Amino acid sequence: MGMEWFRYDIARYTTPRAVIIPMVLLILALISLGYTTATTGMPVNPGLDFRGGTAVTLITDQGEAEVQAFFSGYPLESVTRDLGSRQYLLKFDAMPPAENERLVQQITARYPDASIDYIDETFGRTLQGQALLALFFSFIGMAIVVFIAFRTFVPSVAVITCAFADMVVTAALMNIFGITLTLGTTAALLMLIGYSVDSDVLLTMRVLKRRGALADKLQGAFRTGIIMTTTTLAAVAAMFIVTSLGNVQVIRDISAVLLIGLVVDIYNTWITNAAMLRWYVERRGGQ
Amino acid sequence: MSKDRGPAKKKAAAEPKPEKPVAFTELVKDWRVAILLVLVFLSVIAIFPHVENGKLTTALQFGLDLQGGSWIQMGFGAEVVGYDTTGNLDDLVLALRERLDTQVYDLGNGKLEIQKYYTREELAGIFSALNATLTSYEEGVSRNTGDTVKRILEEKINTLGTRDARVNLLTPVGSGVVRYVRVELAGVNMQTAREIVTRQGKFEIRVQTTGNETEHVLYGDVITSVGVPSKESPGKDLWGVSFTLSEEGGKAFQDGCIRYGAVNDPENHYLMMLLDNRTVYSAPLSANLAKSLQTQPTRQLYATTGEGTAGLNQARQLEIHLRAGALPVEVRVAGSGSVSAPLGEHYMWVSLVAGILAILTVGLVIYLRYREPLIVLPMMAINCSEVVILLGVARFIQQLDLASIAGLIAVLGTGIDQLVVITDEVLHEGRVPSPSLYLKRLERAVAIIVVAAGTVVMAMLPLIVMDLSTLKGFALITIVGVLIGVLVTRPAYGRIIMAILSR
Repeated sequence: MGMEWFRYDIARYTTPRAVIIPMVLLILALISLGYTTATTGMPVNPGLDFRGGTAVTLITDQGEAEVQAFFSGYPLESVTRDLGSRQYLLKFDAMPPAENERLVQQITARYPDASIDYIDETFGRTLQGQALLALFFSFIGMAIVVFIAFRTFVPSVAVITCAFADMVVTAALMNIFGITLTLGTTAALLMLIGYSVDSDVLLTMRVLKRRGALADKLQGAFRTGIIMTTTTLAAVAAMFIVTSLGNVQVIRDISAVLLIGLVVDIYNTWITNAAMLRWYVERRGGQ
Repeated sequence: MSKDRGPAKKKAAAEPKPEKPVAFTELVKDWRVAILLVLVFLSVIAIFPHVENGKLTTALQFGLDLQGGSWIQMGFGAEVVGYDTTGNLDDLVLALRERLDTQVYDLGNGKLEIQKYYTREELAGIFSALNATLTSYEEGVSRNTGDTVKRILEEKINTLGTRDARVNLLTPVGSGVVRYVRVELAGVNMQTAREIVTRQGKFEIRVQTTGNETEHVLYGDVITSVGVPSKESPGKDLWGVSFTLSEEGGKAFQDGCIRYGAVNDPENHYLMMLLDNRTVYSAPLSANLAKSLQTQPTRQLYATTGEGTAGLNQARQLEIHLRAGALPVEVRVAGSGSVSAPLGEHYMWVSLVAGILAILTVGLVIYLRYREPLIVLPMMAINCSEVVILLGVARFIQQLDLASIAGLIAVLGTGIDQLVVITDEVLHEGRVPSPSLYLKRLERAVAIIVVAAGTVVMAMLPLIVMDLSTLKGFALITIVGVLIGVLVTRPAYGRIIMAILSR
């Protein structure tokens, strides 16, 4: 019934050899995250929330040079503006509270409708610690639910490996695409833990709890799973496009991370997880 | 069909007896569907969409980034420390108060609160000089002091007539120490917010001794209430502000006035009010008050400011000074943010468009997959009802900000996923199953959904506990959304799709 977008013969590509490619990607991602951690102190380049600093969003008809000149006395780090848009995003490096206060006064006087975000460096570090802790506990919590649900070692490990790979590869891709780690994108990574497990649970349940030929069960799970991911991708893509056009950075970044993560999840579920599961079922001698 | 008899078979015995296919009119009587309908109805009432001043308004609470406003998060210049001493605790506290020139309180359990900022090294040195050792050090204040700060800030904000404000204390997990206080003010720009919140200082009353010398009488924390500007007596155009002291404050006031001679010679012993060590008010005791203070303390005081409009304006100013009171500890801004009203409105529109477009795109994908309006329409209806119920619940527990809207759209995405799982599980091999087989398959679909939902809830729980500002709302919305899905909308969908398939 319905369409067949994907002609993917899952039984053919889920061989132990096929797992090599995702594993290489995972290792590359881990190396990349290690490098970023060594240089910035966090696995993903920290944004304002974690690094501290000031960000100003303002809407004006002035040209870029004029805006830049106005803030020349402050540690202005970058000015971004979408093509033809009147909305500017200015980022400042961390500065002493007194200087920041002066900046706030100047901005309020000149651009009364500006939006100003300020995070003190120490506060940023506190948030960093909390966010990493949240990621860690989320992951542990997810792993516990998976183990309770399946009560078998290999399938549970396969699901957890997959979720781990999703997060790590997505984080590495965030660095490549220049998406910084903020409170919003941390939330997106957490959401990804939930999302990525969705399709893995479907796959594992179908293969372990249904009767039938393994190849049929894999193919059936794939048909359902891919439509699940496609609907989510569609919702997230809509969110990404609208918020990019409308310049709503918080949601745009969240949806960008989810988009990357969902795509990564497709190959991790239907190659890595499927292959591990198949290996487990065939070794057990069952069908 | 026989190959469908998996492990689910045993559990199916616990299920209610398979029912005959039902007609649409009877569907409503099914409790799963009925609950859904009732909740949607109640949610619409809770959201209460209505037109006010020509604009569509609802009872939903929106966060600062959608309605415009500012937030400020402040850390305390104070610390809670653990100590070990061989000597007497009271002596230690007294000695510390003197050495550190600030209030030091015993919190019990071997902890002390020091209401001024010192580094760990500085304190360790001072402690060892006093025959004690510093065993732990945490920046922040005790719950009690935190509550006092919160109360003072709240009262200050309320009296300034800000329409919507919240003050929250933030305590890191696993610590009893309040680390931050966060103030959210709707409809106020950053500069005003900072003025309201941080531009306040220590309020003190001092008494003149000889010449320019003064002595401390009391701090603002013993002022229990402050009146609005009023006339000294009816018919006279002389303005002032009345205020009340606590019992101990009244005693301290009397003591100070007696000790430094203000009761006997008011004209040479002016009383002064200082805000941030700046004199904001100075006047002698009235003859009556000086006389009565000789014999008894007073808690009711009235400070005259002057005649006419000038006097009234000064009284208004003095009122704010008195109300500002003193925060028991100094605070410094750790983070702040603001969104102007126009930008907030812009965000609101963009979020709304993003949400609607997300629903439509999902509908399109589902249609391309099933090409059967009888499946697609109920799916979309269920999905929309889920959003309505979630908004209805959110109205009571959470203000909607950008992060929680992202959570809402994400719930929409997972919601549709799970409806797909149910549909595909039930429609296995494209055949419409008999009611008994249907229930078994539904049960299996529900198992998948419950595990998936469990992982999402577990993944979000740390954020609820952790107070990572806006992420709390996001996590709350996601968890509530998932629960509504598992408990209400999925069961109802299972019922509806069964009725449709068995037609």
